[in-house]
Amino acid sequence: MFKRILIANRGEIAIRVARACREIGISPVGVYSSVDRNSFHLQFMDRVFWIGDSPPQASYLNIEGIIDAAKKAKAEAIHPGYGFLAENSKFAEACEDNGIVFVGPDAKALALVGDKVASRNTVQKVGVPIIPGMQVVDTDIGVFKELASKVGYPVIVKASMGGGGKGMRIVRNESELEASVAAGQREAKSAFGDETVYLEKYIQRPRHIEFQVLRDHHGNTIHLFERECSIQRRHQKIIEETPSVALDDELRHRMGEAAKKVIEVAEYTNAGTVEFLLDENRSFYFLEVNARVQVEHPITEMVTGVDLVRKQINIAAGHRLGLCQDAVKQRGHAIEARIYAEDPENSFLPSPGKIRFLNEPSGPGIRVDSGIYQGWNVPPHYDPILSKLVIWSEDRETAIRRMSGALKDYVILGIMTNLGYLKRIMDNEKFLNGDYHTHFIDDNEKALRLSKGDLIQVLAGIALVSADAENTGVRIPGDTRTEYTSTPWQELGDWKICGRQVNRQR
Amino acid sequence: MDDIHNVLFTKEKDIYVISIDQKEYRVKDYLFQGCHLSFEMGESRISMYIAQDADRNYISYNGECYIIERARAAKAGRRGAAAHHASSVSSPMPGLLVKLPIAIGARVSAGQTLAIVEAMKMQNELRASRDGIVAKINFKEGDQIDAFQPIVELEPQKK
Repeated sequence: MFKRILIANRGEIAIRVARACREIGISPVGVYSSVDRNSFHLQFMDRVFWIGDSPPQASYLNIEGIIDAAKKAKAEAIHPGYGFLAENSKFAEACEDNGIVFVGPDAKALALVGDKVASRNTVQKVGVPIIPGMQVVDTDIGVFKELASKVGYPVIVKASMGGGGKGMRIVRNESELEASVAAGQREAKSAFGDETVYLEKYIQRPRHIEFQVLRDHHGNTIHLFERECSIQRRHQKIIEETPSVALDDELRHRMGEAAKKVIEVAEYTNAGTVEFLLDENRSFYFLEVNARVQVEHPITEMVTGVDLVRKQINIAAGHRLGLCQDAVKQRGHAIEARIYAEDPENSFLPSPGKIRFLNEPSGPGIRVDSGIYQGWNVPPHYDPILSKLVIWSEDRETAIRRMSGALKDYVILGIMTNLGYLKRIMDNEKFLNGDYHTHFIDDNEKALRLSKGDLIQVLAGIALVSADAENTGVRIPGDTRTEYTSTPWQELGDWKICGRQVNRQR
Repeated sequence: MDDIHNVLFTKEKDIYVISIDQKEYRVKDYLFQGCHLSFEMGESRISMYIAQDADRNYISYNGECYIIERARAAKAGRRGAAAHHASSVSSPMPGLLVKLPIAIGARVSAGQTLAIVEAMKMQNELRASRDGIVAKINFKEGDQIDAFQPIVELEPQKK
């Protein structure tokens, strides 16, 4: 086993990995950028190395600086966490070239799963379904028409070079097709300088279901069941749960086996996640492989009892999995809520700044993977994730209620966070019924707004801390009393509840 | 969308009377220790968390967070903003000014991007709310900016 592992990350995931290292007797080595020199993750490391200036390009994406630090620390392995260099095949290669073990798949497997087209073609060969659509690009409208009627409407026309919804057109029937293809081509040309568009079946109201997989260097592959991650804002997950209410044992088994096939055909090792879309007819389609430990890995740990980060390190050290498929069971229900420094009332705009007060929830079945402390200044340079609140309970209903209570107890003051918003999702009836899909946030925008109910208490609180209770005050216009049984009115003035869009009708 | 409320305060022996938008509420036994605030209101005891800095109050109550400012300062700002409304562009979040695709004297039209600010991996485009001519640019690309600072100022187009 390794003596020292360098953790090429920051925040809660660096802390998570450092804990796993300690538990197997490995000394964790940390890295930090200039702005992070007093960040929380440094407290969990045996040694830390400065790797560059605050912008990610200069520090956490600085391959040379990180390899240098690993050599100085005499670390035999590097754990990349998630984000930053976690799925960068050049980084994995640089580790290999320097005789350092990269805790993750090898550079070749990383490159394959990183190429969306190549990985889709590869998995299709072993019978894993992908979203039906064009295999080769074409400009002949006849080809579009034929394919659209073959896969069935609605279809979606997408720009080959696209992203961010530009050049995308949903087409409901054949009469709209020709105009939509032409419009898509024009938009693609002006946005990406390339007018190539392709067509695929449009999946309405899909659910995002992913499977956790582990594979060792001895050819043993297991899956650790699913995570449902359909609650997303701006295509980013904010709540994940397992098991998914959308699967029964038969479908779960088929998807799990498909996930294992994907990992095996890609000759992928270590921990990975196979993402699928599930449509309303319970057909599933391969999306992509996430070649890293996922943000939402704790919910799998909570229901299976398997420590995924320790498994990653063991696999990287050449150990066998030591776990067969039949030994992996789902027990109870787990939910994760991602706590972000952002303002849900203001298009989820990021909100960096100083944390003036922090109270973390505790109690049975509550796990907080946190990267913050009271008094810390959340820097604007990195991802807005602050911490993850993870709940386990025997069943889904009590898990949701436990999560709602824990979110209520979780207090972060000084910056805007999504804590209240996450609680509103937990209290939402559709969510409670498991009746949701990837458009849930947009479709329920009004229902998820803050209710106006508590403003009186909040304003009374402001009045009490702002008024000078002992002061006799200044007589305000309109106060005609000649004898006082009380102090004169103090005018505390107008108070503004910042940026709140409130449901007036409640 | 900001909500504004008028608040008055008086004390009758051990009762605090708080008038909110001309409606009176009676409160007693108020304790404020650390960031914990509690008081009796009606039949129940209310507990909340408050942190204050210079002109802002952060309150967490019932699992929701509120940021509350004195509206006087805010009003001046808003009036200023109203005067500026059409004539300046600022960012609602602090961050890095990554792009200023315009120069002084440039003719811009409503909806045109005047600046791009980035924080926490998200880029936010700041757009002109009306046609005009760029009169002043207060920062340069690469500057770290605070929220609500005017970045670009416009003057109306001459006929």
